[in-house]
Amino acid sequence: MSSSTTDAPRSLLRAIFTDVHFWIPLTVLLGGLVLLDKLR
Amino acid sequence: MPATRLRSLQALGIFCGFAAGAWLGGAEAPIKLVNPDISPITVSLIMVFGVFLARWSVPALIRGTSHVHSDVRQAPHLIVWAVLAGCMWAVANTLTIYAIRNVGLSIAFPLWNTNSLLGIFWGFLLFNELHYAGWKRWLGVLGGAVCMFSGAALLAIASAHQAAPGKAAAGILAALGAGILWGTMYIPYRKAYLTGMNPLSFITFFTVGELATMTVLAIAYRGATPLWHELIGAKSVMFWLMLGGFVWVLGDLFQQYATKYVGISRGIPLSNTNQLWGLLWGIFVFHELRGGSHTIYVQVAGGSLLMALGALSIALSSATAREHSSWQDAADREGNRYGIEHEYVRAGMEGRAYGSGSTRRTFLDWLLILVTTGLFVVLAVMARLPHMDIAVGWAAALTIAMLALLATCGIALWRTTRFR
Repeated sequence: MSSSTTDAPRSLLRAIFTDVHFWIPLTVLLGGLVLLDKLR
Repeated sequence: MPATRLRSLQALGIFCGFAAGAWLGGAEAPIKLVNPDISPITVSLIMVFGVFLARWSVPALIRGTSHVHSDVRQAPHLIVWAVLAGCMWAVANTLTIYAIRNVGLSIAFPLWNTNSLLGIFWGFLLFNELHYAGWKRWLGVLGGAVCMFSGAALLAIASAHQAAPGKAAAGILAALGAGILWGTMYIPYRKAYLTGMNPLSFITFFTVGELATMTVLAIAYRGATPLWHELIGAKSVMFWLMLGGFVWVLGDLFQQYATKYVGISRGIPLSNTNQLWGLLWGIFVFHELRGGSHTIYVQVAGGSLLMALGALSIALSSATAREHSSWQDAADREGNRYGIEHEYVRAGMEGRAYGSGSTRRTFLDWLLILVTTGLFVVLAVMARLPHMDIAVGWAAALTIAMLALLATCGIALWRTTRFR
């Protein structure tokens, strides 16, 4: 029981981090921050 | 899903897209009342405060925050997606400030309006939108988006002001960057709604990313002490800015429902009609084109007509049953990846109830509504109306039109989905 409750957030994070859909917006966000920094 | 249900959800999504345009465009009106001496970053931050309050109090009023809790229990991963989307919105919004400052609205607006073209691309590539749609619907959506883009360019040129010399490249980069950020921000939106999340739940976490990013950017760019002094100095206009934020949230909420029921490829271009509404406020209420040349009026008429035709073309290209079934394949893929109950995903897509959640307001809901109302009343008492030539009759007429759209679209959402 306790093992499954600690595994749930881990598998959730694994599902997010192995999802290519997550990396597309994250990369664009980081690019936007770099651009903003250059434009200041 | 029965064909009649699919048709009514598609019609509802298209109606929400048009209502979103009206309210997103109307949000520009209170901001026009603000003294231009205040730094754009501070203006943006105060607006985001209003947005934050609205994004928590409106869901509390409509359905109660207990629904947020039950949605998060079903799909906890969407908190990450919502916060990520909120961060993207804040960075994009700050980039638009630099774009307007460097190249003016005329060049900046059509450039960041490319977000709808990017939205169509992501919708097709990642979420099976426009699959099996047939060439007529492809033509309707893509042609409509291009038509709206051209109309937006004409309108923006007509309401242009001079670009700062030597800053063109930076301004164009900022505007394109904002367009790419906003266009990509719709990936988390679509992700959430395909998996069955309620838009009222999604926006409560979205705004956490929005406020946190905007606060960090404002402190980093202005410095904590100067920012604080500027906020104190802006108390007489805080009401107008936060009201702008509040109005914007209502528009955004309709945009979220449009995204949910007709997808990003149709919902986003439709809500980009906000530029038309912004122009109506500018011309009729604030007399912005008064004394303009014949060419300007031709550009405005041509641009408005192009935007209206583009919106009509998209509105008439709703998804067929075959296309919708490919959306369901994308939804099943999401459900399997994140371990979400199949029935929850299906119920969300069909806008019907899942489980027997409580519909009663809690103490927290009433507290949120009371605090937000109280704060707006206090700020309204402190607010000053600047000496401007405003056409009150036109302002009342446009407000009535917006309220009529709010009421009819709100009733349609309630009757068809109970705000699901």
